[in-house]
Amino acid sequence: MNDEEGRVDLDRVWAGVAAQVWRRTPGSVERTAGRLLRSPGLARALVTTPSLLLGWVAASAVVLAAGILATRGTGTPYVAFVAPAVAAAGIAYSYGPGIDDAWELSCSMAVSNRMVLLVRALAVFGLNTVLGLAASAASGVALTVTFGWLVPMTAMCALALAVATLARSASVGAAAGVAGWIITILARQETAGRLTAAVTDSMLTLPYLAVAAAGAAVVLFATRTSRGTS
Amino acid sequence: MNIELTDLTRKFGRTPAVAGVTMTAGAGVLGLLGPNGAGKTSLLRMLATVMPPSSGRIRLLDRDPGDSAQRREIRRRLGYVPQNLGYYPGFTVVEFIEYFALLKEMPAADIPRAVAAAVERVGLGDKARAKLRTLSGGMLRRVGIAQAIVNEPELLFLDEPTAGLDPEHRMMFRSLLRDLGQRATVVVSTHLVEDVGAACARVALMDRGRIVFQGTPDELTDRGEGSTAAGDAPLERGYSAVLAQARS
Amino acid sequence: MDDNELIAALAGGDDMALRELFSRHAPWIAARLRSVLPAAEVEDVLQETFLAAWRGAAGYRGEGAGGWLWGIARRQAALWLRRRGRADAVLAALAAADDPPCPDPADAAVARAELAHAIRALGAEGSTHRETWRLMYVEERPVAEVAELMGVPAGTVKSRAHQVRRLMRAALRRGPASEGGRL
Repeated sequence: MNDEEGRVDLDRVWAGVAAQVWRRTPGSVERTAGRLLRSPGLARALVTTPSLLLGWVAASAVVLAAGILATRGTGTPYVAFVAPAVAAAGIAYSYGPGIDDAWELSCSMAVSNRMVLLVRALAVFGLNTVLGLAASAASGVALTVTFGWLVPMTAMCALALAVATLARSASVGAAAGVAGWIITILARQETAGRLTAAVTDSMLTLPYLAVAAAGAAVVLFATRTSRGTS
Repeated sequence: MNIELTDLTRKFGRTPAVAGVTMTAGAGVLGLLGPNGAGKTSLLRMLATVMPPSSGRIRLLDRDPGDSAQRREIRRRLGYVPQNLGYYPGFTVVEFIEYFALLKEMPAADIPRAVAAAVERVGLGDKARAKLRTLSGGMLRRVGIAQAIVNEPELLFLDEPTAGLDPEHRMMFRSLLRDLGQRATVVVSTHLVEDVGAACARVALMDRGRIVFQGTPDELTDRGEGSTAAGDAPLERGYSAVLAQARS
Repeated sequence: MDDNELIAALAGGDDMALRELFSRHAPWIAARLRSVLPAAEVEDVLQETFLAAWRGAAGYRGEGAGGWLWGIARRQAALWLRRRGRADAVLAALAAADDPPCPDPADAAVARAELAHAIRALGAEGSTHRETWRLMYVEERPVAEVAELMGVPAGTVKSRAHQVRRLMRAALRRGPASEGGRL
């Protein structure tokens, strides 16, 4: 037995001990997401989304609850007004250099930023839809109005995300999403004379979808990592 | 050759940050020297696949980073320490390194041991579960190095990694570089000439977007012989001499 | 912090205490294990030892860190070897490592030879005494478990264990030289 083979590498042993002592066990949400997305990294990025964190979810729920109460009092569907703005802010705060301190580093990762963006956007949007549906049940607003949210919410999310990505600032994106929504409401009120028109008028669906598509295109373009080089 | 660059260019608007760099690198440590604004950071960003080139050819690990599938393969085998790392204050040291190990698509079963080994290797074993917001600047920089080496990369790019490190840790860092350079291609960008002399087998000097010198540290020192160039140490004099010549 | 304080901290989940305990005790435990096991196996057992210490720190009764840790190391080694179906002789040598460490390989070899002789005095492999010795003293199973495995009452196990000890003491007194050519 020569000396080299006979040496016990204590550093390696400690690394093995520390590995077990320091390891983090993913929660059930993360594990499930990891299996669904077929990527533990993507799942981890998802559960660490700033806007999905508990505080943010709670704040969103509070904002929507306030909207419900306002609706009940006045009969005007304030809930419908508030929901897209909440969704837009959520999206803006979920992604991008404005909110991600380690942005440049994450641009060099095998799990691409674009995938992280997509997954986070879907999660935030889905969460807001769930909150919105719950709000709708609570306030008894008609189903058409409820589904009228999904479309404007998507549009405002896409707008917020596009601006956040271009401006490299989550706050600017959130502001853009909220501002865009306010402008839409006021513009519709001008033409139709009713506040509710901004949400319920199905003629707006096409423009909303156009905004959503444009926003998505901007984001995809801004997050491209490489042009083809030979 | 792990890195092959041919006439690589990167422009911002009309200004070329990198103006036609041709270079190859195999295993070992390559020091990238140059004054501020020379284009070192832009070059490193292109090497780390963070930024696409404006023109020219780049091949990393015999793959084309312009193709998304190959880029993903490159990134799994890559480590990068940007100049301004940024960190997540609420994460612990271990959580931060583990996060990027996951994003590099390391096999999940290998990650705990790799993270522990990386933590110990940069001398943060007694801070493993401390929150990042409680760490000093030098410690944060070491965390940045740890996340870069956790996947035992074949390509390692470090942009001003020793800024803020005390002398003891700079020495530890140099020996870490020499270790890593035995298997990987390491490119270290720095304006600290003495770091280069101690750890790098080869040196490239950049000025205004171009490479004006490639060779060993000794060869760079030789360029300063008998010149009146500024510098306290021989390597520094070589550095100044080459720069002066390039600009004349 | 002294060792007892470290182990108390361990029970409280202080991983830095584990790190300190490791740096103090891993070297000598590794050396002792090394006298009976190859390096790669020592590394595995050492790792399991400190993980077991981490998990079981609450059970520490102040009996002395060294003894406590060595006890864990022996149990972990026995567990590890049992899982891999390793030969009795190695396990026996492990028991011998309880004695003051012999840095001289020649001394260690002599100790092993004496022990091997004592084991042979118990009879052929698979015989009752040999089995009893293996289960009780090498694999350190509790009496109830041995009784179940051998299909006899606990009292029988105890008396067999007594006989085993008697036979081995006698053999060790005689020494291996008396064996002649017997296998």
